[in-house]
Amino acid sequence: MNMNTSARARTAPTRPNLTAYAFLAPVAILVVLFFIIPALLVIYISMTDLATANFTSDVGQMTFIGLKNYETLFSDPYARKIFFNTVFYVLVTLSLFNVGGALVVALLTAHINRRAGFFFRALWLLPRLMTSTVYILMWERMVADPPYGILNQLFGVAGYGTVAFNTNHIWTFVILVNGIIGISFGMIIFTSAIESISKDIMNASLVDGSTAMQRIRYVILPLMRWPLLFVLSYQTLSLLTSYEEILLFTNGGPGVYQTEVWALTAFHRALSNYFGNAQWGYGSAFAVVLVIVGIVLAILYLRIFRFRELVSEPKIENL
Amino acid sequence: MSHAQRAPQSPQTPQMAEPLSTVADTVIRAVRGALITAAVLIVLALFFGRLFGPLWKSLNVDESFSQTLAGLASLLLPLAVYLALGMGARAHRKRSTTQAAVITIALATVAVAIFYILNTSQGAGAAAEQSSLQFAATQTADGIVVDAIEPGGAAELAGLLPGDVITALRRDPITLAQLESAVAESEPDTPFRLRLLRAGEEMQLTVRTVAVAVESAGLKLGPIAAAWIGGAAVALIGLFGPPGWAPYILLTVSLSPLILGFAWLAVATVSYRTQGLLPIDAQGNVGGLTLENWSFLGIGGEAPATPIWSYAANSLFIAMLMTGVTLVLSSMAGYALSRMEFSGRRFFLSLTLILHSFPAVTLLIPVYLVLLNLGKIPLIGPHIGFNSIGGIALVMIAFGLPFGVWLMKGFFDNISWDMERSALIDGASRWRTFWEIILPQIRPGLLALGIFSFIGGWNAYLIPAIFSIGTKAANLPVYIRTLTGDTNAVNWNQVVAVGVFQMIPILVIFVFAQEYLLNIYSGGSKGSS
Amino acid sequence: MQVDIQNLTKKFGDVTAVADVSLDIRDGEFVAFLGPSGCGKTTTLLMLAGIYKPTDGTITFGERIVNLVPPRERNIGMVFQSYALYPHMTVFGNIAYPLKLKNVSRADQQERVKRVADVMGIGELLDRKPAQLSGGQQQRVALGRALVKEPDILLFDEPLSNLDARLRLTMRAEIKALQKRLGITSVYVTHDQVEALTMADRIAVMNKGRLEAYATPEDLYDHPRTTFIANFVGNPPINMVDVELAQENGQVVARCAAFTVPLDSERVRKAVAHGRKLTMGIRAEDITLGDDAALTGEVYAVEPLGREDMLDVRIGAESFFALATPQQRMRAGDRIGLHIDAERLQFFDPATGKSVLWE
Ligand SMILES: Nc1ncnc2c1ncn2[C@@H]1O[C@H](COP(=O)(O)OP(=O)(O)O)[C@@H](O)[C@H]1O
Ligand SMILES: [Mg+2]
Repeated sequence: MNMNTSARARTAPTRPNLTAYAFLAPVAILVVLFFIIPALLVIYISMTDLATANFTSDVGQMTFIGLKNYETLFSDPYARKIFFNTVFYVLVTLSLFNVGGALVVALLTAHINRRAGFFFRALWLLPRLMTSTVYILMWERMVADPPYGILNQLFGVAGYGTVAFNTNHIWTFVILVNGIIGISFGMIIFTSAIESISKDIMNASLVDGSTAMQRIRYVILPLMRWPLLFVLSYQTLSLLTSYEEILLFTNGGPGVYQTEVWALTAFHRALSNYFGNAQWGYGSAFAVVLVIVGIVLAILYLRIFRFRELVSEPKIENL
Repeated sequence: MSHAQRAPQSPQTPQMAEPLSTVADTVIRAVRGALITAAVLIVLALFFGRLFGPLWKSLNVDESFSQTLAGLASLLLPLAVYLALGMGARAHRKRSTTQAAVITIALATVAVAIFYILNTSQGAGAAAEQSSLQFAATQTADGIVVDAIEPGGAAELAGLLPGDVITALRRDPITLAQLESAVAESEPDTPFRLRLLRAGEEMQLTVRTVAVAVESAGLKLGPIAAAWIGGAAVALIGLFGPPGWAPYILLTVSLSPLILGFAWLAVATVSYRTQGLLPIDAQGNVGGLTLENWSFLGIGGEAPATPIWSYAANSLFIAMLMTGVTLVLSSMAGYALSRMEFSGRRFFLSLTLILHSFPAVTLLIPVYLVLLNLGKIPLIGPHIGFNSIGGIALVMIAFGLPFGVWLMKGFFDNISWDMERSALIDGASRWRTFWEIILPQIRPGLLALGIFSFIGGWNAYLIPAIFSIGTKAANLPVYIRTLTGDTNAVNWNQVVAVGVFQMIPILVIFVFAQEYLLNIYSGGSKGSS
Repeated sequence: MQVDIQNLTKKFGDVTAVADVSLDIRDGEFVAFLGPSGCGKTTTLLMLAGIYKPTDGTITFGERIVNLVPPRERNIGMVFQSYALYPHMTVFGNIAYPLKLKNVSRADQQERVKRVADVMGIGELLDRKPAQLSGGQQQRVALGRALVKEPDILLFDEPLSNLDARLRLTMRAEIKALQKRLGITSVYVTHDQVEALTMADRIAVMNKGRLEAYATPEDLYDHPRTTFIANFVGNPPINMVDVELAQENGQVVARCAAFTVPLDSERVRKAVAHGRKLTMGIRAEDITLGDDAALTGEVYAVEPLGREDMLDVRIGAESFFALATPQQRMRAGDRIGLHIDAERLQFFDPATGKSVLWE
């Protein structure tokens, strides 16, 4: 055998694996179209004065105005209120429901009969499976004034006076509406974490004669560090950026920006044509803030994932 | 994870060797438990009421949730204390059940007395004051009609007259109930700018609340006895109650909003009108059950001209498109990421993971422009652009792909390498191996992702609402929303019926695939635990 | 089809799984790769199959360098330890799959699958799914699937290690007979030396990615080149003692802390010429038990193996495996004499582990 050919046969540089790229191509195209381009576009639009009056879908025709929208944003008195609304909403919903409530439900259902635990978890999943419009319809009735409101009817039966749930206490219900949906995510993650705690450790602690509370405190919680961190980071992002339920439930009201949150503002400014003057540029400035927070948290989340351990090399090589 | 090994040693070793506790021990333990419980709840109440609530007030967040939590903590305080007393005495049951019961009731009696004294002493003080506008009114269809004005009171000072009809607080329409609770919750001297009609003319008045004393309760035996019986009963539950019930009670109570909501949905679909949870007939009496709400299906009445089937078809089409395309694309990409060697693999993997947690909804504004531009493509444009089912589905598919790809990758990771090697040696190409050998192995994964996508597509509201105009591409959730829109007179119960109709497929899936549904979300968290 | 492997090396990142292996396989030959777990046997086999790409070196099938030839163009059949049957296909589907991929007509598929299935004795099972088969039946299906396309080379990766002992014995004989009859060049990976010794024409012993020896079973057993080979091949394992050889009264004696024994044979003389401090190897079957022997020891444990008893005999601190017939009724605590067959001894250089008798 000729030395030359054999050397070439051995050392031929790796050809690009076209098959692999073909498998990835459709997803890559959609990701470019609906993630990469929009992410760049939103930054650009936030630096234009695109609005109903001068609307164009042609990027080249938009008027570049630099950071003017951001200046407006920072001097907008309502932006401050909306900012703190958002912080309040995320903080309270996250701690009491998406993480705290989820943990409590997971622990409670783990400490009862298996089938019953499963049944309760399934029930908790229901709100997430309903379409938001029907779910909100339900809640609107819940908080309505007499004679229609369910809660007011119950209060009446119990001998209490009428309560204006849908105005004075609206934040309580915005939190409940979102929190009750939000519990299921953490609940499922925590449950699978609890179930994966080795029976040996649990038995050892049972033999020790520890009470349920001690078991939770010393055995279960320390092993839940990663799931907790995961749910925390994931749900923070999701609460921060999703606004569908608030949009349908209060649409930011009933008082002036009473329950408006940051993500909803971006939507209101740019996409909800209510006053007939959508401000895509200004709305995008609001969105960009969230996009940046999203990217930062997503990268943080990549760290939490211990990426390295997940990426094992494929055990079939490309010849 | 290193504490895990140490952890089991930490709990105290059993009390088997300990002698049975004496009466003094038990009393001390029960009182200590009650005091700790009370302290925790008081701290919580103070935290939410005095710190957390005011903090948000000062930041202009108009919420009452903190006060509600504080109120809840103080409301639960006595109950929790009684319960703690009973639970503290549980250990004494080993020695003597009667003794334990006597101790518990005695301690509960003391606690009841203490709470009563605290309450009445507080009642004599500042807390017995309430804000008031000092007038009486009734709710009518026109607004709140002022019936009587307290002489010399706040309302009279401000110039309110009997017969005035209050319509709004500042700019917001208001009902009597809302006004009353707003007043009750306000600090004294809060201005209420009322908009009202006086003899047909609209005008505004500002009334400032004043603090009025609430009738203070004397030493009434009835409530004391009730409190004592209640307290002792709760304490005895703490003493004898089977602890296994607690989770069930807590879970059921926490689910009560949902249970109430579903009860209402169920009642409302089959009734003419509802008040609270009660069905009401045209005359306003309880009753009036009907199937008329379902007439859109041709049941129980004349079918209206509502094009419900076209919305349902749109819903179904979006859901099926999403399911099909998501399954094919996610599994292809997941396969490549899991099983193939190519340059850039690590980059694609990290990108998937980042996008997987990246909140795509923040991109809806630019996606609108992308869709408008896609619509300009000749031939296929109208099918994938703005206001087309294809476009709506495409956006939702794209947003869901990172999750799907990651989920599928996880499933592929668990397939035996030998099987795939075997297929390659048998002579299959990578493509055929994928289709014929590997895909059939991850059927559970496909089912999970398929169900997930279908539900997502079937339920979608926000994206169809934003990217469709009129009825062309609108789906059921969007239709339900337009039914409740303020432009047309709303037949609420028919809306509910359509809503329940929309939920039927979901409920069917829920009944048959709970296990899958419960497992789907953990797919995304692989490796995090 | 003959196979030639030259300087074959495979690295996974920093790990070198296979290091500079060269060997040739003759047409129709049955070669076993033998070595402890993790020594690189499977990696070598997968490079032959085209699943892994060699980091360095060449693999030649016949005249053709196949380093970069994809698996489907190599015309090989492979049987995996896990069988790797396709669980969603019937037995027929599994065996027919390679033919389907070659676009063989349906009728031909039917006929060839039937023929192979009959040879493998699974003609009755064609409609079943793999999950409904026993381990041995699955094994036969896997073998049938590998054979059906009439491959040039058959690769086996520990195909019998999931079977029970009895079945392993029959399958061993069947595979061997089949291979002989069909004359297909075969490479058989195993960590079980008995399998290798009984089945293979030649054995490639691997250790830590390197080729330790490549020889016939007899040669390997009788002439171990290294202590690794001597230790790995043979059951019970060879007895190894560090001794000092010395001339005493014109006789060679082996001396260690526990005992001194006179030895006389050609091998011993050859060893003495090489050096004095050596590692001496004695196989259990080369020790005969008797009363009047130069060495006496105490039976420490008796392990009945059925046909014979395996003894653990202690002489001072040294421990020896020896064999006895059950009729000898050896008991723990018995004192017995040991005869060592000096013509069968092995000697190794303690520093390098290399044999001083064989190059
Ligand atoms: N795909 C791979 N990636 C990284 N290391 C591998 C891979 N395959 C095998 N190895 C390593 O190479 C060495 C040899 O493995 P293998 O060939 O499977 O051994 P054997 O089959 O002899 O038991 C082992 O140390 C193993 O960990
Ligand atoms: Mg191996």
